Amino acid sequence: MRTNPRMTMGRKGVLALFCCVLSVPAVCAAQTSQSIAPGDSSAPDSSSVAATSTIAAVVSPDIGDLPSAPDPRAQTAQQPGQANQQSPTKPGSGLSLGDLGFTTQQTQANAQMQAMLEKRTHMLKVHQTLGLITVIPMVATLFTGPEAKATGKNGQPITEPTTANLDFHVALGGLTSGLYWTAAYYAIFAPKIPGVKPKGAIRLHRDMEWIHGPGMILTPILGIMAYNQENAGEKVHGIASYHGTAAYVTAAAYGVSIVAISWPIHWKFWER
Amino acid sequence: MKNSFLIAAALLFAVPMFAQADKQWALDQSTLSYHMSHPMHEVDGISHAAKGKGVCQAGQCDFLIAAPVKSFDTGDSNRDLHMIETTRGAQFPMVIVRTQFPESEIAEATIHADLEVQFAGQTAHYKNVAFQKIVHGNQIEITGVVPATCSDFKIDRPSFLTVPIKNEIPVRVDMTWHPM
Repeated sequence: MRTNPRMTMGRKGVLALFCCVLSVPAVCAAQTSQSIAPGDSSAPDSSSVAATSTIAAVVSPDIGDLPSAPDPRAQTAQQPGQANQQSPTKPGSGLSLGDLGFTTQQTQANAQMQAMLEKRTHMLKVHQTLGLITVIPMVATLFTGPEAKATGKNGQPITEPTTANLDFHVALGGLTSGLYWTAAYYAIFAPKIPGVKPKGAIRLHRDMEWIHGPGMILTPILGIMAYNQENAGEKVHGIASYHGTAAYVTAAAYGVSIVAISWPIHWKFWER
Repeated sequence: MKNSFLIAAALLFAVPMFAQADKQWALDQSTLSYHMSHPMHEVDGISHAAKGKGVCQAGQCDFLIAAPVKSFDTGDSNRDLHMIETTRGAQFPMVIVRTQFPESEIAEATIHADLEVQFAGQTAHYKNVAFQKIVHGNQIEITGVVPATCSDFKIDRPSFLTVPIKNEIPVRVDMTWHPM
């Protein structure tokens, strides 16, 4: 019996078409393929991926509208220390973070940044604690200030403060200053997070630094000058006479700074 | 032979059509906001950066929604950085929500979904969370509240003046979806 070459070619064509038909669901299934772990031996090589992509492009021109399969290269490109800790694809659902259009930079873990944030939080907690503790000697210094001041007018008897009052006030001032600058150290040297602009209550808190910071330099200097003048039996005069004013302005700015960082405040302690 | 060829060709075109019968949804816009409560502070952190996609096939819908942790904004950069630190947001930069529900639920006014939430390196499951559905023409707006807590994700509750925030951090969801 003579074989009809056209018939043979036709069978091959039909077979090829059936292969195509069978391959289409496989291609569709590829849209729901699971993420491939790095080093997974089941990962398709680039040639098989390219082959199925070509078939898909021929069979369904709209394939680009479907969620894309996870890119195995993206999985293997992650560094061990920076591996994405969140599994991008869950078995059973074909959707992955890659389908949503997030970049690797957005989804990649950053251990260094986490460490920096933790150090920052630690330092700012110390700053907060020391800053609040500083309030106690600061207020006490303000209260003892008038007791350390010589009274009377020029040409009239000057009443000197007792040595105890003066020393106590100086000691409180020194303690306030020490605590203040220690607290400031923890704020100044806390790690700065790149790309973050201060926003909200922190801005006023930081703006107040420009008042109470210089104030905490000026007030002790004026205080030392006033102390020396009083020890010399003089009534405090000149720029030293502004020691008290500088102290009150500094304390006020410091208070505003504390309230600002806590603002807005809702008093609801009874709802604990 | 011609018939066989035609049948094969018909099958060839039919299969992609069946494949395309799966309905897909894309997230148009979203507002996710967590609420943090402290005796001295009430704070809402809002994100509009969520992205999402859904696929309904064989009567079952799978949705994936994700948002960068750092996209939540309380209006205070210092607080937001502290939130990222507390929730290990640099280590686990995305909050990922997966949900499944029967496709028939889409026709209902209220969708009850089981949620799987990956956040702060932990995974929490919330069963039967109700979401209200409002239809706006071709779009569907979904609103609801995910009853998240700090303990669900092993988050050390931040404190202020030694008083920690409340354990509950409900997340309000408002998303608009459209079919693809």
